[in-house]
Amino acid sequence: MSADPETPRAEYASKKGEVVLRSHEYDGIQEYDQMLPNWWLFIFLGSLAFFVGYWVLYYNFGFFHDDQEVITRKIAQIEEVKAKELDEMLAKLTDDALINQWATDDTVVAAGKEIFLSNCIACHGQDLSAKIDIGNGQSVSLPGLPLTDGVWKYGSKPMDIFKLINEGTPANSTGHNGAKMEAWGQKMPPLQIAQLTAFLIRENPKDFAK
Amino acid sequence: MSTATITYDDRTVRRFMTASIFWGIVGMLVGVLAATQLSWWQMNGKFLEAITFGLVKSEGLSYITFGRIRPLHTNAVIFAFVGNMVFAGVYYSTQRLCKVRLASDWLSKIHFWGWQLIIVGAAITLPAGLTRGKEYAELIWPLNIAVVVIWVIFGVNFFWTLAKRNEPSLYVSLWFYIATIVTIALLYVVNHLSIPTSLIHSYPIFGGVQDGLVQWWYGHNAVAFFLTTPILGIMYYFVPKAVDRPVYSYRLSIIHFWALVFIYIWAGPHHLLNTSLPRWLQTLGMLFSLMLWAPSWAGMLNGLLTLRGAWDKLRTDPIIKFFAVAVTFYGMSTFEGPLLSIRSVNALSHYTDWTIGHVHSGALGWNGFMAAGMFYWLAPRLWSTKLWSTAMANMHFWVGLVGILLYVSAMWVAGITQGLMLSETNPGGATLKYEFVETLQTIHIPYMLRSFGGGLYLLGFILCAVNIFMTARTGSATDATVEVKLLQKEKKDRMTLSEAFGSDPVIYAVLGIVFMILWFFLPPHADKAALIVAVILCIKGISVFRQSSKTWAEYFNRLLENYLPFTILIFGAAAIGGVVQIIPSLLVNRAVNVEDRLQLPYTPLELAGRDIYVAEGCYNCHSQMIRTLVPDVLRYGPAKDQGYSRLGESIYDHPYQWGSKRTGPDLAREGGALAAGAKSMRIGRRDNLWHFNHFLDPRQTSPGSNMPPYPWLFEAKADLKSLPKRIAVQSTLGVPWPAMTKDEIEQSARDQAVEISQALVKAGAYLPDRPDLEGENLRRYLSETQVVALIAYVQKIGTYQLVETPPAEVPPLNPDAYRKPVNR
Repeated sequence: MSADPETPRAEYASKKGEVVLRSHEYDGIQEYDQMLPNWWLFIFLGSLAFFVGYWVLYYNFGFFHDDQEVITRKIAQIEEVKAKELDEMLAKLTDDALINQWATDDTVVAAGKEIFLSNCIACHGQDLSAKIDIGNGQSVSLPGLPLTDGVWKYGSKPMDIFKLINEGTPANSTGHNGAKMEAWGQKMPPLQIAQLTAFLIRENPKDFAK
Repeated sequence: MSTATITYDDRTVRRFMTASIFWGIVGMLVGVLAATQLSWWQMNGKFLEAITFGLVKSEGLSYITFGRIRPLHTNAVIFAFVGNMVFAGVYYSTQRLCKVRLASDWLSKIHFWGWQLIIVGAAITLPAGLTRGKEYAELIWPLNIAVVVIWVIFGVNFFWTLAKRNEPSLYVSLWFYIATIVTIALLYVVNHLSIPTSLIHSYPIFGGVQDGLVQWWYGHNAVAFFLTTPILGIMYYFVPKAVDRPVYSYRLSIIHFWALVFIYIWAGPHHLLNTSLPRWLQTLGMLFSLMLWAPSWAGMLNGLLTLRGAWDKLRTDPIIKFFAVAVTFYGMSTFEGPLLSIRSVNALSHYTDWTIGHVHSGALGWNGFMAAGMFYWLAPRLWSTKLWSTAMANMHFWVGLVGILLYVSAMWVAGITQGLMLSETNPGGATLKYEFVETLQTIHIPYMLRSFGGGLYLLGFILCAVNIFMTARTGSATDATVEVKLLQKEKKDRMTLSEAFGSDPVIYAVLGIVFMILWFFLPPHADKAALIVAVILCIKGISVFRQSSKTWAEYFNRLLENYLPFTILIFGAAAIGGVVQIIPSLLVNRAVNVEDRLQLPYTPLELAGRDIYVAEGCYNCHSQMIRTLVPDVLRYGPAKDQGYSRLGESIYDHPYQWGSKRTGPDLAREGGALAAGAKSMRIGRRDNLWHFNHFLDPRQTSPGSNMPPYPWLFEAKADLKSLPKRIAVQSTLGVPWPAMTKDEIEQSARDQAVEISQALVKAGAYLPDRPDLEGENLRRYLSETQVVALIAYVQKIGTYQLVETPPAEVPPLNPDAYRKPVNR
């Protein structure tokens, strides 16, 4: 071992900055002893103090809230925001407005189409037929209802469609072969649902006369 | 004083080292395959069509799907690569530090061959879908028993060698080896407690939150005591040897050893932050993880500062390069670990690739580079020659280092990007901006870079294998022979137990810890008193130490000459954390620990489906735990009757399936109510046909998904015959199954399968591989398949009944129950 020959021999260092070489060797391995660096002690003792402080603040001073209480409160606030957004949207929307304003606006319809493609095609198909072509002229059914056959099972007015997307298949319905659509209003803001409705109107010009 | 000439058993070291390199390359190869599967779903088997020019026809091959080979990868690199490397290092250094040949050649042989057989067993069973469904604890129960037996043989061989030693005092490396052997034994046994249902299947005895807690107590400490402590021991031996310099500071060794052994065990719950795990356990997990930062860095300091006198060699000696970078990565990942354990950071990072990057900076940087440095140092000595090619070792270093950096930074980018996207809301903040699959597509490029980085790292290890192989060929296997002074018996192991445990340092430590634990558990006010006593004991202990530091030092020196009491103290220090965290949750009556919801028990078919879910390793990509965080609730449980996951919702799950990574979305709310007019068929968030199409071709229902197709689920029959045995075992474990005869169980499963198949056929299900089947024939065919059982299970996940708030009686040992924070 190439320890500095000048290093004093002792079992333990006794003050800061002192370096001693311990006398015992293990298979030729020697060990110095020196005091712990201050910055290291600071981290170590700091984390111990943080441990005690955090626990005391949490349990003895009620400084933090418990997780279930916090999440319940936050979700309730979000529900309020959502309800307000929906009210504002419903105040604007009418069957007439959806057909003559929303569905005639190309940017709105394009936005609706994008939403449709990323959320709806698993059940309603890329071409809205609720079928998918698997080659060889074969096509396979998808879980949803076709959206181009002129049949609107849950109401054929634009606002019925908006409501259906927003709230999902009505609870008292048996669904389509048992399949029920989820309430997209839980995931999408009312604006997106309106855009989606506009897209469907544009795709079915005969069903929604101006 | 008499002397003797002894020959070290270096053959065993050579064997373990060779095995480590071999399995390392296998494990890393599997890792690279798994990584590419996340970028390209075709890597799950479809690619075989291309490389065999259409000879093999397959949409996906069950044996190599991600869900099955990810466990193979983790088990291979942890237990086969690092395991064998550790055994090589431990056996080489222990003999020399004890100046004695390994105690028993026979035990060494059984240890080596037994361990390799277990690995072969794992390599066969895991791809076959035989698994316990718990991470890094997937091996089936007969292999678990084999692992325990071999581990005990390793322990006996090691401690017997200690007992025969010709060196009175134990060097630091040996402390770490002792901690490894005793703690891994404890962790492994407890987390593998199971009741078999057949030769190849068992259910863990813990369920739900208890299983989760035990799993991460084990999982985290597998990292601590399998991937950290033995490697630190190896560092303390091989680094000073390689640089020919004394260790930086002895007292740093002592402090960080005891701190690591004591603190590590408590940190397990940081894998379950923000979940329904009781808050006091989360708090302990986070705070103890933060307290690990300094002790871990002390290990890094002792490694790096030992290298300090030899920086000049860094340019010329690849071994020093490997060691320096390995220790640096140890420091980096032990800083990142506490950071990720902070609840608010974890809210973003958990379930993302940031965690994956974190473990790989430890595994590739710290473990892999320590292994490489050790191999290059050992090879010339074990085969008494020069290293075949220093240039090639340097090449390995640079290729490997670039590989790690690419890998880790790709995972940082992927993890943080996805974490941020998943919580980004639309204007107004009431809905989320991105679909899950959009976030997955965004990280496509980091995923490719990760595969590339991993590939480079693998290439480095292939260079290592070639280099070591050529070194062995040019040299000849040599067992070192040395002259040692024999140590008389009275020079070691003479301490009585009362002397060992009745000393001041032990008494103060034990009392301090006892009062700390009382502080956690005692009711209000008594807890504060306990805290004050603990603090006073600390101060008193420090002042006694200052006055009689000489006595304390002498005591510790004596302890080091007595391996048995020393081992008992280590075991005690390591065991406390687990006892304090786990026992209370086991005592709490299940009925109390459910919050307001209780899981609906499965039907026989749903259980069969759940066992398929576990066997296919779905938990590797899908969690079943909606955390108490807004983005989680908005994404996975927005409806009023959904919300965050409650404890009771998985209380009967053996094994629990909360998961640890979301490569796909959470599934905790996939299930739903009974379909109108159905006897047992449920329809949840999505329709049966959706699931049917999804398992057949995930991209049809979720464009952009990287999930593999599961064509074999549409061919293989669900195993209904073993259900009675499985249900009987679950009943023993306390799952409330109604009394059913064998026939009733099978009939129930068949009825439900028929009901689902009927619905599928009616909705237009179509099997591309069996165009001949339709109508009644298709229904009959489907009702026996695994996919229908799996659909039955998925439609059941997360269904619950409301229960009355449990009685006000305070459950024992629950710090949360009687002092919920004041709500302001």
